[in-house]
Amino acid sequence: MSSEAALIEAARQGSAAAFAELVGAYRDGLLRFLLTRSASFADAEDALQDTLINAYRYLHSYNPQWRFSTWLYRIAINNAARLKTVETVELGDLGDEENDPLSHCIQHQDRRNLWLSARRTLSDEVYTAMWLRYVEDMSVNDIAAVLERSVSWTKVNLMRGRKTLEAELHNPATDEKSKAYG
Amino acid sequence: MDKLAKRLREDAAHIECAVSDELDDRIRASLENIQPQKPVESQRSPRPLTFWWASSLTGVAAAIVLIAVVNLQAPDPVTTTTEPAAQPLVLPSIEWQAETAVLVSPLEQEFEDLQSDLKKAEDAVRQDIERLF
Repeated sequence: MSSEAALIEAARQGSAAAFAELVGAYRDGLLRFLLTRSASFADAEDALQDTLINAYRYLHSYNPQWRFSTWLYRIAINNAARLKTVETVELGDLGDEENDPLSHCIQHQDRRNLWLSARRTLSDEVYTAMWLRYVEDMSVNDIAAVLERSVSWTKVNLMRGRKTLEAELHNPATDEKSKAYG
Repeated sequence: MDKLAKRLREDAAHIECAVSDELDDRIRASLENIQPQKPVESQRSPRPLTFWWASSLTGVAAAIVLIAVVNLQAPDPVTTTTEPAAQPLVLPSIEWQAETAVLVSPLEQEFEDLQSDLKKAEDAVRQDIERLF
């Protein structure tokens, strides 16, 4: 963690190489996360580029009381939201699975990928909370900070998300229009 | 780890997604062309010592003038005859059972977050209404 602090300090002084090393560990995870929130792979790539540029530019505003990844994901969510234009498909409206960019990036599986179901059944924020909890291993406090929500809201909606996905898990033929609202 | 968490983790690992060399080059080129912003520092110049003396003396002088004016213009005290009250007013005593709330930083943060929740919920309801009607 001290090396991370040193890299942050070097990047603040203007070292792009230090910043590239700093975010190296997070890039693939961020792209995967952004892909789940974008309408196309190109959008996800653009969002990642914007996220890293903004993070570098405004690095002075990073508060070390939070984990660096928490701050980075907050910027990523803002960028993904900004890229959502009128033409962009909303997460909850992804009716055609073939057009879903996420489905193109999923390796062959014998069973249905639960994240595809999550995209249809969960609201945008609940989906993000579930992703940050179960894929990025973030604490509830960090997730609340990323989503700019209260800890209570985050706990309640993680529980709702779990219930919805457990229903999907046990009954794949469940009506997919049911949603967990945040 | 419970079954759902395990399944979610496994399914996320099946999402094949990595930053391509092309994107990596693009990002590096962008980073080379920008500089991180410096924090904005306040540029206030220090006040001279005479400024503090002058303002203190002005304040003291103004206070003296104010006291003098108030005392010189004070009306004669009105003499009133006081009559004993027929019955003393007895107020019921109220025993408060309250504890002093001490707001510390996490509570304040939580309060702000709850307000943020409320605002987002209001926005969501407003959007739903607009969509419906």
